[in-house]
Amino acid sequence: MLGAALLACGSCFSLAPIAAAESRDAQDGASQAKRPRVAFVSNGIASFWTIASAGAKAAAKEFDVDVDIRLPAQGASDQQRIVEDLLARGIDGLAIAPADPDNQSALLEEAARRTRMITHDSDAPKSPRLCYVGMDNYAGGRMCGKLVKEALPQGGEVLIFIGRLEQDNAKARRQGVIDELLDRPVSAKNYDPPGKLLKGEKYTILDTRTDQFDRARAKQNAEDAIAAYPNLACMVGLFAYNPPLMLDAVRQAGKLGTIKLVAFDEDDATLTGIIEGSIHGTVVQNPYRYGYDSVRILAALARGDQTVLPPKGFLDIPARQIRKDNVESFRAELKKNLAAGGG
Amino acid sequence: MRKIAGILALTVAVFVATAAIQPNFVSAYNLQNLVRWTSLFGVLSLAAMFVIVTGGIDLSIGSVVCLVGCVLAWLLDRGWSTGAALAAAAALSVLIGLAHGLLITRWSIQPFVVTLCGLLIYRGLARWLTADQTLGFGSAHDGLRRLATGKVLLPFQSGGFALPTPFFVLLFLAAASAVVLHLTTGGRSLLALGRNEEAARFSGIRTHRLTVLAYVACAALSGLGGVLFALDCNSVQPASMGNFYELYAIAAAVLGGCSLRGGEASVLGTVLGAAVMRILYNAINLLQIPTQLEFAIIGTVLLLGVMADEGVRRIGRRMAARHQNA
Repeated sequence: MLGAALLACGSCFSLAPIAAAESRDAQDGASQAKRPRVAFVSNGIASFWTIASAGAKAAAKEFDVDVDIRLPAQGASDQQRIVEDLLARGIDGLAIAPADPDNQSALLEEAARRTRMITHDSDAPKSPRLCYVGMDNYAGGRMCGKLVKEALPQGGEVLIFIGRLEQDNAKARRQGVIDELLDRPVSAKNYDPPGKLLKGEKYTILDTRTDQFDRARAKQNAEDAIAAYPNLACMVGLFAYNPPLMLDAVRQAGKLGTIKLVAFDEDDATLTGIIEGSIHGTVVQNPYRYGYDSVRILAALARGDQTVLPPKGFLDIPARQIRKDNVESFRAELKKNLAAGGG
Repeated sequence: MRKIAGILALTVAVFVATAAIQPNFVSAYNLQNLVRWTSLFGVLSLAAMFVIVTGGIDLSIGSVVCLVGCVLAWLLDRGWSTGAALAAAAALSVLIGLAHGLLITRWSIQPFVVTLCGLLIYRGLARWLTADQTLGFGSAHDGLRRLATGKVLLPFQSGGFALPTPFFVLLFLAAASAVVLHLTTGGRSLLALGRNEEAARFSGIRTHRLTVLAYVACAALSGLGGVLFALDCNSVQPASMGNFYELYAIAAAVLGGCSLRGGEASVLGTVLGAAVMRILYNAINLLQIPTQLEFAIIGTVLLLGVMADEGVRRIGRRMAARHQNA
């Protein structure tokens, strides 16, 4: 053990001057011939990000760049540390999913000053990012709301579960569901704070429960909701890990079928739930493309090609609805993408 | 009994108040959930109790929960049989406890430092082992999952209420702990060691060996907790699983009458301590109090409970003194 530690230290020392020289190279701009090094930073750890990482790796191979994939464990603070370290080491481009864009403006500005920065998955529209790769989360939320309407045509009480509401994509996604269920016109500017009962003609949104990525908490939230609301007709889980835990809670309460489930993202247990018929459907993004296109754009930018930037700074990778009829083909596609990235 | 009067009163008060406002709180379904969560966290609280009794502390409980849960899922994922994976998880927990105990007794490093390092090491190992990926049990291990999610219908029960399996796990562990702690020489020696280690050593108690055993018990129970939590959620997430659980465990033990100075413990109190915290979480959700207020409410109620407990003790002491003077 001690030997291994000494060995590791030894290799650190011998590598350190090379690493320093490399980063100087990059800063000199004399790196045209050298493989650009770009970074792909998520806002958390989830199966969703495994798929995105596979896309990032596949693009790195195809466009001949090194990609540094970082999945911060503890939200914004972890993300800050990771980005600062990456900037200190020197990178030719950064694709980040800001965990808390409103309060990360200093970090994002710093990153944009020191490297080429784009956002993915969750945007930071006020930051000087070069473009955003992702879907319109509000539109995705509305698609999810439509699935609720299909699962529950006669209307009823709906409860929303989500990891956290601090990030832009979470807010927009939730708002999309709410606006769709309350039959409001499309307007991404609406915002209903959580904790307020929202009553529409057919649907009532009881509340939004957050869990800060704690799975045990997420499951307890679902169980407490079943206990608290005897007339609960539908649960909507908006982060990838929420639907499987909702399904578990509903199954254990013996309420499969009584409480409809609508999901977001493509956790394997969610897809199995759709195949079994216990989850009505899910709205999937294309995380593989988030990873792939982010790295593709950064690779081109690092080589001085500005034409890859999408018009209006937004590369729309639309969401899709997955129901029982198309779940099997979607699962096959997912497997193929994961294999392509070596993930 | 006097030691647990405070926590018992607090538990009953929170329970009754919540039930009065939200009748669904006492529905069979919710009570089952409450018992299950209390049992899961109760196992960890008992773990904390064993080291707190010695005047020590274990800050690594949450990380052990995570590492053991991850190792179990990882081994099963690699095709290990259930029995072998469980045995490996148990062996790992015992080894961790042994390492803590030996570092504390033989190397004379403070428990706070040893277990703080443990907190970082085990979390790091879990994240490295799983490459930060969520591991799931799928539906292949539903039999094993019954350990955490199963229910047992007792003959005299009615109204759809069935006791969750973890309750029996906790019941067994609590009974065994109580017997060990209060009815065996080893247990009494452990209490004596916590009160005054030097005095205990001079009176012939093998304090080092007992301390090591206490840390082994703590890590073994934490590991068991890890297995139960992993099975309950049917997946493990190495970065977040078990975060802060050591603090819940320590708080439950202290609320339940264990003194952080060592030498005092109550098994029943510790279990009630775990229960009151779960009831508070549950109540906040059921009473539709904004989740943002959650920590503030739990902190306040617990502080009030401890203050009331201390107040009652002071009045008791004053009355006893007056009685003596008279």
